[in-house]
Amino acid sequence: MAAALDYLRPASVAEALSLLSTIEGAQPVAGATDVWVGIRSKKHSPKALVSLKNIPNLRFILPDRETDAYEGRAEGVTGDSGVLLGAATTHGDVEDSAWMKTHFPAVHQACSGVGSRQVRNVATVGGNICNAAPCADSAVGLLLYDATLVIAGPAGERELPLSEFFVGPGETRLGPAEILKEVKVPNPGPRTYAWYWKHTRRKGVELPLLGVGARVTLDADGMVEKARVSLGVCAPMPTRSYEAEKVLEGQKLTAELAAEAGEVAAANALVRDTWRGRGWYRREMVRVLVPRVIKLSGALS
Amino acid sequence: MKTITFTVNGNPVTLDVSEDANLLSVLNDDLELAGAKEGCGAGECGACTVIVDGVAVTSCLYPACEADGRVVETVEGLVLESGSLHPLQRTFVDYGAVQCGFCTPGMVMSAKALLDKYPNPNEQEVKVALAGNICRCTGYTQIVEAVLAAAEEMKK
Ligand code: FES
Ligand code: FES
Repeated sequence: MAAALDYLRPASVAEALSLLSTIEGAQPVAGATDVWVGIRSKKHSPKALVSLKNIPNLRFILPDRETDAYEGRAEGVTGDSGVLLGAATTHGDVEDSAWMKTHFPAVHQACSGVGSRQVRNVATVGGNICNAAPCADSAVGLLLYDATLVIAGPAGERELPLSEFFVGPGETRLGPAEILKEVKVPNPGPRTYAWYWKHTRRKGVELPLLGVGARVTLDADGMVEKARVSLGVCAPMPTRSYEAEKVLEGQKLTAELAAEAGEVAAANALVRDTWRGRGWYRREMVRVLVPRVIKLSGALS
Repeated sequence: MKTITFTVNGNPVTLDVSEDANLLSVLNDDLELAGAKEGCGAGECGACTVIVDGVAVTSCLYPACEADGRVVETVEGLVLESGSLHPLQRTFVDYGAVQCGFCTPGMVMSAKALLDKYPNPNEQEVKVALAGNICRCTGYTQIVEAVLAAAEEMKK
């Protein structure tokens, strides 16, 4: 018989960290939706699950005071600072946040498309990031906005850009005794347009064949000041297409330029064949979808 | 084993559960509430949907230990105190939204969670809320109609 699983519910970050550092094979979970499937199918057998669900102040969207997720910790945070997401914020919290929809549409779209409503009610943004699936929708959305992760560990807190967090499928730079605490997203600035497209075979409750995000911030003269193109399932991890971003930055945004960014993103995408879709098809769709998301973002009008 | 205490359909319960048990098995086997069904066991079919702290969850993916201290509602708790059916149960019957019935408890609980929060959903919002509930019999049309009709009913 396999060693029995323990299930622990610390009441603070400090307690969670001490459990993780003292119990070998302990794994932090929040919604646990993905981890639970792995345990049930015996793919995965952690010694203990350390649930982060009962730690106060890990579930909030700041400064969106309207959401259920807001737990009164807005001091000093204003709309100008961007957004701070608690790692235990659920995809449903983001979906229900009109504020996120307005200010971070691509993150809103990415989170609203994950699983079913039942799963989104439980599965957390932090979990989606730490689970590090190549298709992690919320990560592909957040990469567009230069999100930074706030990670708590035995030696205190550290920050790491999301774009440097992933190492491979299911592998991250999170240490065994660390937890992801917050996701910091800077204010993208005025004249920012962004969109996320989850390419699927059916409309809902599906993993993406591809996730494609694009964001452009225009300067006062309509030139592209900053561009981000992010891709899911185009590499062993959610990635940015730095090559496509270079095509866009410093240029006047036109449909032709967007198409060129698509060509370049496709040429550089590390697509592969899986049972869900073939590599050649993915590459072709990156070429089609990059200009499409730029158009859908509204930046071209 | 861990001892957990939670509220099911308004009644407090305390029991010992195994750390790897899910809420569904606790409801089905320990509490003999057979309404929530196991279809896939992996969060994909919605047959096991119950409401925890006001939101719909797939109880097959919900660690039983995590239910400690929370408020759980299952289809068994829907019947009104007067003994009459909840409007959702009534409209599901009236609109022919039930055939084999396997998906029904989950469908009804997803719909209840939606209506508790958004009493005025449009058709698209109903479809999004029920997208995680698979039905192999009805073709869904009657189910969406039943939920919209129940929403009307509940406004009265
Ligand atoms: S049994 Fe829980 S979703 Fe299918
Ligand atoms: S009524 Fe048979 S599965 Fe829905």
